[in-house]
Amino acid sequence: MIPFRQALDRWLGRGEASITMPPMDGAFRPNDSLDAAPAVLQTPAPDSLAITAQGLIVSSGRSLLRVDKAGGAPVASFDAEISALAGLPDGGAAAGLTDGRILFVGGRYGGKTIAARPQLQCITALAPAGDGTLLVANGSASNAPAEWKRDLMQKNASGTVWRLDPASGAATQLAGKLAYPNGLVDDGGSIVVSESWRSALTRISPGTGGRPAPVLESLPAYPGRLWRGADDAIWLALFAPRSQLVEFILSEDRYRRRMISDIDADHWVAPCLRAGRSPLEPTQQGGVKQLGVVKPWSPNRSYGLIARLDGAWRPTASLHSRANGRRHGVTSCLSFEGRLYFSAKGDGIVAACADQGPTP
Amino acid sequence: MTLQDPAKPPLLEMRKVGKDYRGVAALKDIDFDLRPGEVHAILGENGAGKSTLVKILSGAVTPTAGEIRLDGQPIQIASPALARRHGIAMVYQETSLVPTMTVAQNLYLGDERFYNRLRGIYIEAQQFLQSLNFPVDPTATVLSLGTAKRQMVEIARAVRLKAKVIIFDEPTATLTPEEKHHLFALIARLRADQVSIIFISHALEEALDISDRITILRDGAHIITADAKTFSRETIIRHMVGRSLTDELYGRAADGREPRRAGEKVLSVQNLSMQNVVRNTSFSIFAGQVAGVFGLVGSGRTETARIIAGVAKRDFFHGGDVRFEGRSVRYRTPRKAVGDGVVYVTEDRKGDGFFETMSIADNIHVGRMSSRDSRGLVASMSEARALAADWTKKLNIKALDGDSRVIELSGGNQQKVVIAKALVQKPRLIIFDEPTRGVDVGAIAEIHHLIGTLADEGLAVVVISSYLPEILSLSDRILISRQGRIVEELSPREATSEAVMFAAVY
Repeated sequence: MIPFRQALDRWLGRGEASITMPPMDGAFRPNDSLDAAPAVLQTPAPDSLAITAQGLIVSSGRSLLRVDKAGGAPVASFDAEISALAGLPDGGAAAGLTDGRILFVGGRYGGKTIAARPQLQCITALAPAGDGTLLVANGSASNAPAEWKRDLMQKNASGTVWRLDPASGAATQLAGKLAYPNGLVDDGGSIVVSESWRSALTRISPGTGGRPAPVLESLPAYPGRLWRGADDAIWLALFAPRSQLVEFILSEDRYRRRMISDIDADHWVAPCLRAGRSPLEPTQQGGVKQLGVVKPWSPNRSYGLIARLDGAWRPTASLHSRANGRRHGVTSCLSFEGRLYFSAKGDGIVAACADQGPTP
Repeated sequence: MTLQDPAKPPLLEMRKVGKDYRGVAALKDIDFDLRPGEVHAILGENGAGKSTLVKILSGAVTPTAGEIRLDGQPIQIASPALARRHGIAMVYQETSLVPTMTVAQNLYLGDERFYNRLRGIYIEAQQFLQSLNFPVDPTATVLSLGTAKRQMVEIARAVRLKAKVIIFDEPTATLTPEEKHHLFALIARLRADQVSIIFISHALEEALDISDRITILRDGAHIITADAKTFSRETIIRHMVGRSLTDELYGRAADGREPRRAGEKVLSVQNLSMQNVVRNTSFSIFAGQVAGVFGLVGSGRTETARIIAGVAKRDFFHGGDVRFEGRSVRYRTPRKAVGDGVVYVTEDRKGDGFFETMSIADNIHVGRMSSRDSRGLVASMSEARALAADWTKKLNIKALDGDSRVIELSGGNQQKVVIAKALVQKPRLIIFDEPTRGVDVGAIAEIHHLIGTLADEGLAVVVISSYLPEILSLSDRILISRQGRIVEELSPREATSEAVMFAAVY
C-alpha cells in the first residue's frame, strides 16, 4: 500500500514529492544582520577563511590574503585557483586547489604538496582532525568546484569524504555517494558533513560502513562550510537559497537537460552566489516595497545566510542578507577574536560582526 | 446616557430566588431587580450562576425557591413560551435557529398565519432587518450564514417579538468590531424605547461601556449591584473572583519573563493551500514553546489548524506539505492525527468539543478511545471513572462527580473537559483554538497556567486567539496571520499591540 501511495504521490506531486520549501522562521527568521556588519576586506570572490599563525587569512582566486585593517596583504599565491582552505593546529594552512592538489603553507608541513588524485578533483572543504590528519571533502566525481551549479542541475550524489595523512600523503575514503559535501567538521569520534544538494548535515561515524546519518535536515538554503567556535557553537555558512522554482526545475528532467545543453550557466534557473547583475537573468528584475522593505516579486536566486547551531546541532540563531542586501553568497564563516568573520563571495566582501548572533 | 429612572418601581424583581441541582445549590437567595429602560449587566466567573439566573427568567429552568414579580405582580415562568408571553425574550449565546430554514422563516417561526406568502414575509423581513441595520439577506438559509450573522438573526427575532425584557447571553463573543458597534447602537435604541436589557458578557469593558448598572455573582451568590460608573475593570475582577487577577492573566509582558527556548522542530508547514482560505502558508512549530497565532477573523488560522489536525483537507493539487517530526503527513481523519500525537482543541466546544448529554467520564473516555493507548471498543467503566476523577482533579474541574453531564457545567469547566479530552490523548503537538472564548476570568487564569505548564513539559503548543493581550502574555513566539498566510513572526520582546495589529491588518 505504501509503495503504491508513494508512486501516486509522485505522480500527483504531493506528500514527499510536493514541491515545497522549509520556512525561514524560528531560528531562521530573516533579519539584516549581515548587511549591518562592517566590511573588513573587499576583494574579488573571497571564498574560504582560516586562522593561522599569521592571523586570519582568506582565499581569493589563486591567492591567500591576510584579513586585517591593512587591507588584504598577500600571504601566498598558487598556479591554480584555491577551492578550499583549512587552518591547522600547528599554525600552518592547507589549501586545496581546483586541479586536485593540496598544498601546505607554514607550519610543520610548510611547502609540501600532495599530488592530485583522480578521485580528488573537486576539493570543496578541508578540516583538521583531532588525530593530526586532514579531512577532505570532494564535492563531485564529475564536476570541478566552479561547476557546482551543473552538479546540482545534474542531481549528482557522487561526493566523497577522505582522511589524508599529511606526512605520507596516504588517503582513505570515509564515505561516498554524498550529495555535494561542501563543509566538514571533526565531532570527536565522527565527522559532520554538510551535504549541499540534500540541504542537510549528516554524520559519518566509524563502523557504519560510511553510511551517513542525518543530523539536521530540511534547511531552507544550501549548506556550505562549517566551523566550530571556541564556545562549542557551530557556525554554518549557507551559500544560496532554495526556492520552489528551482525545486520544480529539478523535478523536470527534460527541461533541465535542454537548459543545460542550450543556455549559458549564468542564465540557468538555478541558485547563484549573486543575482541581479545581468538583464538576461531569469526572473530577478523587479521588486515591491512592503512594510518599508523591498521584496522581490520573483524567487531569490541569491541570498546571504549564516546559521548558529548549538551542541545538539539545532539552529539557535541566524544572520541574513535579504533580497535587497549586499552580502550574498556566503561561502565561509568563522569566529576569531570575539568576532564572526564571513566571506560573501557573491559580493566580494569579507565582513565581521559580533559572534553571538541575533537573538531569535 | 441613562434613561432609566431610579425612582420608578422596577419592571422585574427577583426575591430570594434559589436553584438546586441534585442537592448542589447553583443559586442561593438571589435578589435582583431590573428597571424600565435599563441595561443591566450580570457578571461573574463561569459557574457563578449567571446562566442559571437568566434561564429562570427565560423559563428554561424552574427555580426551587423565591419569587419573581413583573410590574409588581408575582408571576410563574414555567416555560419559554410563557416567558415570551410575559414579554421576556432571550438571545442565546449559541443560536437556536432552524438551520435549514431561511432567515425570514426563522424570524416568523411560531408566528405563522394560516396562509403564508413567502414574498410578503421576505419583504417584511428585509425592511425589518434594514431598520436594525443588520446586513443579512432574508432569503438566505441560516445554514449558509456565519456565526455573527446568525447572532444578528437571533437578536432580530427577539426585537421583533416586542419584548419588554431582552436577555443577551454573550452576544458579542462572535461579532466583529463593526458588528459590535451595530449591536450597541441597537441596544441604545431599545433602551430609548424603554426596553429593559439584561446583558451577560465576559468582556468587562463592554459591560462598563454600555450598562447602567452591574450585578456581580460569585459561586451562586449575589455579591454586589451598583451603578456601572462606580466600577472599574479591576474592581469588577476583584468582586468576581475575590482576588486581583489582572497580573495573573495578562502580566507577562510587564514582568519581563524570558521566552522559552525552542526545542526540536516538531511541525513544519510548507506552502500549505486550501482554496482561497489558506494561501501558500509556511511556518514551523517547536517543542517546549508556546507559539501564539494572531489574526483577524477570516485570516485562515483556524482552517490551517484544522488541515494540520486532519479535520479539513488541503487542496488536492499543490496543496503543500505538512511535516510532523520530519515526516510528511496527510491526515484524512483527526483520529490518524491523534494517533501520531497531533491534537486540536476546537474553538466551537459545544459543536465539536464534547457530547453535551454525556457525562464528564464518558467524554474523557471517548477522547482516550482515539489515542494510541486505546483498547478499541473494549471499555471498562471503572477505568473511565478513575480517568475522569484523575483529570477532574488535575484540571480543577468543578463538578459534583465524573457522572455529571457536561451540559450542566459552566463554560469554563466545559472547556476544561475539552482540554482533558485532548490531553488524555498524550499529544506531542497541541493546538488550542480560542481556548478562553466564553470562559470566565478565573478559568482563564487556570487555562493559561495549564498551557504554560504543557510547554514547560516539552510539548509543542499552538494558541490561536483573537484576543491580543492573551497572545502577548502567553506566547514565546508570535505568528501573525493575514489573508490566509503567516506574514510575520515577532518575538515577545519586540511585540507590541501596535506592531502585531499593524502586521495583521496591512
